[in-house]
Amino acid sequence: MWYIWDLSILLSALSLVIMLVLIARRLLQERWARAAADQRRQLLTALIAFTENRDREALKATVLAVPAGVAIDAGFEFISLLRGEERDDVLVAFNECGLPARVARQLRKGNVAERIHAAEMLAALGWEDASASLLAALTQDRSREVRIAAAIALCDLGSLPLLGTALDFIGVAGQRSRRLIELFRRFPRSRFNELAVHASRVDASPFIRAAAIDALAHAGGFGFADFFAGLTGDAAPEVVAAALRALGLTGHAEAPAILKRAMANDDWDVRAAAAESAGRLGLPELAAPLSRLMDDEVWTVRYAAANALRSFGQPGERLLREIASAEVSRSQRTASLILAEGPVL
Amino acid sequence: MIADWSHEVVLAATILSLFIIGAGLAQTTIYLLQLVVAGYALSERPPVARSALLWQRYGDVAPPIALLVPAYNEALNVVESVHSMLALEYPNFEVVVINDGSKDETLQRLVDAFKLVKFQRPFEEALAHQPIRGLYSSPMTERLFVVDKENGGKADAQNAGINVCRAPLFCVIDGDSILEPDALMRAAQPFIDDPERTIAVGGTIRIANGSKIEAGRVREIHLPRRLLPLFQVVEYLRAFLMARLAWSSINTLMLVSGAFGMFRRAEVVAVGGFTKGSMGEDLDLVIKLHRHMRDKKRKYRIQFIPEPVCWTEAPESLSVLARQRSRWQRGALECFFRYRNMLFNPRYGRVGFLGFGHILIVDVLGPVAEVMGYILIPAFWLLGILSAEYLLAFTALIFTYGVCVSVCSLILEEAELQRFPRARDLAVLTAAAVIENFGYRQLNNFWRVKGWWQYLRGNQGWGEMTRTGLGAAKK
Repeated sequence: MWYIWDLSILLSALSLVIMLVLIARRLLQERWARAAADQRRQLLTALIAFTENRDREALKATVLAVPAGVAIDAGFEFISLLRGEERDDVLVAFNECGLPARVARQLRKGNVAERIHAAEMLAALGWEDASASLLAALTQDRSREVRIAAAIALCDLGSLPLLGTALDFIGVAGQRSRRLIELFRRFPRSRFNELAVHASRVDASPFIRAAAIDALAHAGGFGFADFFAGLTGDAAPEVVAAALRALGLTGHAEAPAILKRAMANDDWDVRAAAAESAGRLGLPELAAPLSRLMDDEVWTVRYAAANALRSFGQPGERLLREIASAEVSRSQRTASLILAEGPVL
Repeated sequence: MIADWSHEVVLAATILSLFIIGAGLAQTTIYLLQLVVAGYALSERPPVARSALLWQRYGDVAPPIALLVPAYNEALNVVESVHSMLALEYPNFEVVVINDGSKDETLQRLVDAFKLVKFQRPFEEALAHQPIRGLYSSPMTERLFVVDKENGGKADAQNAGINVCRAPLFCVIDGDSILEPDALMRAAQPFIDDPERTIAVGGTIRIANGSKIEAGRVREIHLPRRLLPLFQVVEYLRAFLMARLAWSSINTLMLVSGAFGMFRRAEVVAVGGFTKGSMGEDLDLVIKLHRHMRDKKRKYRIQFIPEPVCWTEAPESLSVLARQRSRWQRGALECFFRYRNMLFNPRYGRVGFLGFGHILIVDVLGPVAEVMGYILIPAFWLLGILSAEYLLAFTALIFTYGVCVSVCSLILEEAELQRFPRARDLAVLTAAAVIENFGYRQLNNFWRVKGWWQYLRGNQGWGEMTRTGLGAAKK
């Protein structure tokens, strides 16, 4: 029993001492924060002046006079507001002051949040060794979020390794992140085939494959329509749904047959995607299967089907009215709800 | 003196004392372990300081979110609250206010302020709730929807909101709370980083009493000027930064606060939404989610992240606080006994052992054992039945370990997050962390035992929650 008492006194005293140290540290930080705010103001003033007079030496003198952390933070914020020649000139000054090397150090030594930010900054700073630093982060960093940030930065710099290799470095857990959608959307057109290869890999996660299909559909255009049509027969429902939505964007000669088949799929997400794409492509020949889908057990499918019919214009609306005035059923209720959507007059 | 008492009396007193001390020791051990785990979790995942960076990073891939705001007799603040919610920094969200049959002018104030018109919106009747009288949209902003329904309580209103909303994620928030502008973006982060497994995320609730509030935003952070809300600041720090963070890091989080939590709609619909009439509808929902996902053998994450902040008003009077704490206690007991088959059930893994074990020790046994200890252990010692070492052990567990745990929570906050703006605030909070163990803690346990008693008697009333309004009284 005495141990409980003794240990409690020791732990409480220790916690109070640590807290007092932290309060003292905070007092010092308050002083430093005031100084940092002044320095930040000083640097931003110099940067604004530089955009007017292009006096690089004056800017470099100010950059070197403030602590590197302040220069990196305020500098990165400022260059994100600039474009073109003005931005290039500021970047040259930053490079001559050695700021990117400091950022590269932050990419190696900072905490997770700092390392992610450093990867983003390196992509923007136009430094010649940026790719090497980012590649090291992609291959060696222990945080998957940092590795994803490094991959996105490398993609922006046009130095991303082969997609398969990059994803291997990111790791299986990282391949569940929606950040990869961002990576795929930034992919250069010249490397779309890599996305296509990855989208067709049956051993890859359906989430990633669907993201690759989505990126290709938005940027690749009709050139990939056959590819999407082929993927509608895939075993993974998530991939099939993504391929159907992609077809809804690009269109395809076989689209009516493919969509009709998909409307009978066991997976509700696939049926909803098929209905959505039928509406987007405006295929009135699919009115009959769509009206059958309005009796689907899943609301999302019924809603997508009714919306698709509505998007066909007057013929679709006529069909919806017919269904709405029929006997009470799921289809009838869905049709009534869709027709009533909007302000109550 | 011990010899004066019969052996049986001494034995009974010793066993009882050992039970009381054992319960306290178990609780303290849990707290200390939570501190270690939370400290590790925070150091592994330092916060992103600037919200502009988050927008740049996640803006394009952020999923749509519906913000569900149940409102009952909130005429005083509702317009200002909705304005502040509409101004949140998130690329794709809608605000669904659910007027839960208010008896005051809540709906009319909204109609007037946002020129609301009746609107038909098709939605799935996935969850049962009281009838909806009308849906309203605003020509001023397409982000706002108002559901006017018959009164059915908070859970019922939230279920109606879940039905009406279309986003795959929804965020519940109390009508009188204030979200930080970047709170949605920060809370959505786990849904972006791990969209397949993340099904719920809770953020931090902070106490706004004393802070300067303008136009539905917290402009300047100050500590409460009154002692009661000040103690609650320390309490909330302990609850959120220590307990929830620790459980979250081992995927055993049992509570996502109903005042600010984000959920994946599909899973919430699958478990039947919020349980109507429950005293702890937020705890109940999270337990149901755990049970559902484990029954289905699906991988999932229910997370707490400390950065997104929702400000709320803490009770300033003893009577209101007493009612709130008794209600919370009844909620915990109700959920514990409703889902008791999950306790130590191997089918539910760490949720059954750690999560339910924690509720058993801290919420079910804890207050009773502690209040018994306040009365019995000093009495046994005064009567000469027990030696002083029992009294000292009990004192250590209640007071000195209490100080240690509270101060350590503050250390975590300061070491990793630094959200209190001034060194003076830290000094005041440190003093509060010490003082709260001498009086406030005992009072709290008394209210919790009262909650136990009310639970046993089947008292299901919520009690009146008198609020002064965040925007009104504390500018």
